[in-house]
Amino acid sequence: MQPPAVDRTGKLAFVPARFGPDIIGGAEIVLRQLALGLQDRGWDVEVLTTAALDYFSWKNELPVGVAVEDGLTVRRFEAVKSTAGRERQDIGMRMFAGETIPLGEQERWMNDDVRIPGLYSHLLAHGSEYRAIVFGPYLFWPSVACSQVHPTRSVLWTCLHDEPYAYQSIFKPVLGGVAGLFFQTEPEHELAHSIFSELAPHDTVGCGVEVPDGYDPQRFRTKFGIDAPFLLYAGRREGAKGWDELLQMFARSVVARDLPFHLVTMGAGDVRPPAEVADRVHDVGFLSVEDRNDAYAAAAAYVQPSRYEAFSRTIMESWLAESPVIGVGQGGVVRYHIERSRAGVVYDDAFEFEEALVFLAQQPEAARQLGRAGRQYVLDNYQWHDVLTRVETSLMAWTPAVGTPAAAAVGAA
Amino acid sequence: MRILMVSPYPPKRDGIATYAAQAVAALQAEGHEVEVLSPEPSAAHYHLDFHAGARFGLALARRVAGYDKVVLQWHPAFFYRSSDPRHRIAVDAALTVAFRRARQVEIWVHEFEYEDATGNGPRAQACRALFRSADGLFFHSETERTRFLETVPVDRGKTHLAEHGASFVRRSDAGREEARASLGIPASSTVFLCIGFIQEHKGFDRAVRAFAGLAAHDCRLDVVGSTRLDEPDFVAYLNQLDRLCAETPGAHLHEGFVSDELFDRWIIASDVVVLPYRHIWSSGVLERAALYERPVIATRVGGLAEQAGNRSVTLVDDDAGLAVAMRRAAGVEHVEEPFELGNGDLFASVQAAVRERASRARGSDLPPPPSPGRARKETVPGAVASAVRRLPPYAMPPATSLRPGVSQVKGLIRRLIGWEVAPVVHHLHLLQQAVAASLDVLEERVAALEAAAAGAGTAEGPAGGGAAEADGSVAAGDPSPAPVPAPVPTH
Repeated sequence: MQPPAVDRTGKLAFVPARFGPDIIGGAEIVLRQLALGLQDRGWDVEVLTTAALDYFSWKNELPVGVAVEDGLTVRRFEAVKSTAGRERQDIGMRMFAGETIPLGEQERWMNDDVRIPGLYSHLLAHGSEYRAIVFGPYLFWPSVACSQVHPTRSVLWTCLHDEPYAYQSIFKPVLGGVAGLFFQTEPEHELAHSIFSELAPHDTVGCGVEVPDGYDPQRFRTKFGIDAPFLLYAGRREGAKGWDELLQMFARSVVARDLPFHLVTMGAGDVRPPAEVADRVHDVGFLSVEDRNDAYAAAAAYVQPSRYEAFSRTIMESWLAESPVIGVGQGGVVRYHIERSRAGVVYDDAFEFEEALVFLAQQPEAARQLGRAGRQYVLDNYQWHDVLTRVETSLMAWTPAVGTPAAAAVGAA
Repeated sequence: MRILMVSPYPPKRDGIATYAAQAVAALQAEGHEVEVLSPEPSAAHYHLDFHAGARFGLALARRVAGYDKVVLQWHPAFFYRSSDPRHRIAVDAALTVAFRRARQVEIWVHEFEYEDATGNGPRAQACRALFRSADGLFFHSETERTRFLETVPVDRGKTHLAEHGASFVRRSDAGREEARASLGIPASSTVFLCIGFIQEHKGFDRAVRAFAGLAAHDCRLDVVGSTRLDEPDFVAYLNQLDRLCAETPGAHLHEGFVSDELFDRWIIASDVVVLPYRHIWSSGVLERAALYERPVIATRVGGLAEQAGNRSVTLVDDDAGLAVAMRRAAGVEHVEEPFELGNGDLFASVQAAVRERASRARGSDLPPPPSPGRARKETVPGAVASAVRRLPPYAMPPATSLRPGVSQVKGLIRRLIGWEVAPVVHHLHLLQQAVAASLDVLEERVAALEAAAAGAGTAEGPAGGGAAEADGSVAAGDPSPAPVPAPVPTH
């Protein structure tokens, strides 16, 4: 599938807000894999990121400066969070209430969170040394502030969700005025067209998922002392990800229908389980890759309550372990995957969620059978090799190497 | 050299912020180490509230010792939060202290309010002292430098002229056709462009009026930009411009965020850039137009004539000159056609000829008189309520004062009356939302009524024997009323 002639001249920059092997976060993981994968294919790749590791505190835990990590040149800049974040919270709430927010307030909302002035300054001085600068996701400060320094070299790993933020005009130039946009799914692509009248050149390239060598579900149960059948949730525990709603639905279902399930969660954020199910909710924190994979395999099902997904890497990881997915229909992306793969159950409200759990309790074998279809779906559609090839093809078209006929064509277009 | 740039900075959308970023890039390319101080959190290294008055100046004074040079982008609105002379004197005095502590200070003067430095009162003296304390003053035109020196007599040797676009770089690689396609502009049209912040002194309304009639010659005028501030006066002007564009065939208002890239793409897509300014010092738009070799029509104000230099700029002195220049640029030669009158009723013949000629000149039939439900041109859903939506939410004025103790008193009063005022403010917001929502509903119903009326008119037209016109009106002398549409179900 690799095209015959890929011109890998020039340097690529990837700009995740955080970077490291243990970082939890969809976009951060993907940008890391892209950077490593393209370097393996012969590209000169540099990572521009912060010295922070934690998404909430943005404390600079690593040294600022240049280092080589996993063979990649990594330039770390100071993450600056110099404001209290009150405006971000207030204005964000008004966005969710559907209020029209003037652009000046949108700017204050964007700047009242982590900023990376050193990165901006670096791109101002050295941005033209990169053939392409890949930002992501659309919502982060670097994408908004820094993609406009060299828009003809800026490419966005979009991660667009159907959320009130996406409708703010501050994002128009980010999606309309850069060299190219990478979408991961068709629903994300359609959503972008529905929100933005003008889109930069774009391609739906999918996303790759690492395929583990094997699983040991019993090891997970033993290690964490969880014998009961359980549902698994991995990711940030916050309202925007549907965590609070999941807790409520879970509590109502297992109590009302006398279901045997527990809920195991990994990731960051407060758990706050309702009292009636507090003893059934287990926070296992951050897991090693091996433990994480085993958790997927040990789960009766994986639950995805987030409406704001551009790809949903965790449901792919669950399917690779042949565990079915019970996923929310609103938002489109999770529904899209489940309906295409037929490897789980879509729910659109608490009643459907409850019935899905009843099915899971009554028909565990049938549920497992659904899960097995999921593995093949991932293997057929979301292998890194194919994704990297599509990414390279797009980069060649959007940001051709200087001096090539393609570059002349772009410049003269 | 370690340099501190004091300026608004991206991602703030502001011409001077963009200018400052490009200046920083140029200084970095020369090998200088540059840090930026902006008035609010941004991509700058530091931020301080420039509107904090004397406190800002004193905070700046504490920082400047660490730099070899301070470069300050000057616009009165950046540093003064009001026109209160006491406030301005305090700001000037504090900045003067900061400048005297710095090793070297450059002020790049983008705008200056001459009345601040006129006369011999304390206000003027503080202002002059401030600018005298700088080591270098930079202007974009000789006109403005001369005028400045007449008001603020500083050593001329300290003043310099700087080419406005010296640090400007292209933000878009698009070609004309590509840019037009991306903006939905037909390839064949002649495109006039007004772009920048929408505010009265930019005079975009003048261009719209001057453009009237050119739509008939496959021309269009695109007005692109947003208001700098969401304040009532700015919003009122925007609404006025919106109405004017809606009434002028071929004029299109594109209100909203304009990134640097999009800004350049609009210029690339245009044939002529129009700068109908009422007053201005110098123009970044003129520089960006030159960057892409687009001709400019500009009013002869401020330093524009000088800035134009040898570039392709047509300078005009008034609205009539603007209209002539735009017609010439469109290749429209005005040829006076003789009235062609029929042999019948002279009055009717003249009236018909007048209407027909005016229609051609206007580029469309006479707009129908304003009446509920008559959309004169296609509008996007919700457009009717946009004037209401644009009004910024009411924000209570800051409980601050320069006078000692007054801020505390104001704060106390606010806390005391907050329980009464807050619900009123909240109710005001709800009222605004309700008005906008009601207008949306009305708009939908009117559109449905119009569609029904159009259908009924078509069905009953000739067969009904009436003299209904295509627009649904009834010809004079016809006693029969226009068809009444059926009621539309409510939502």
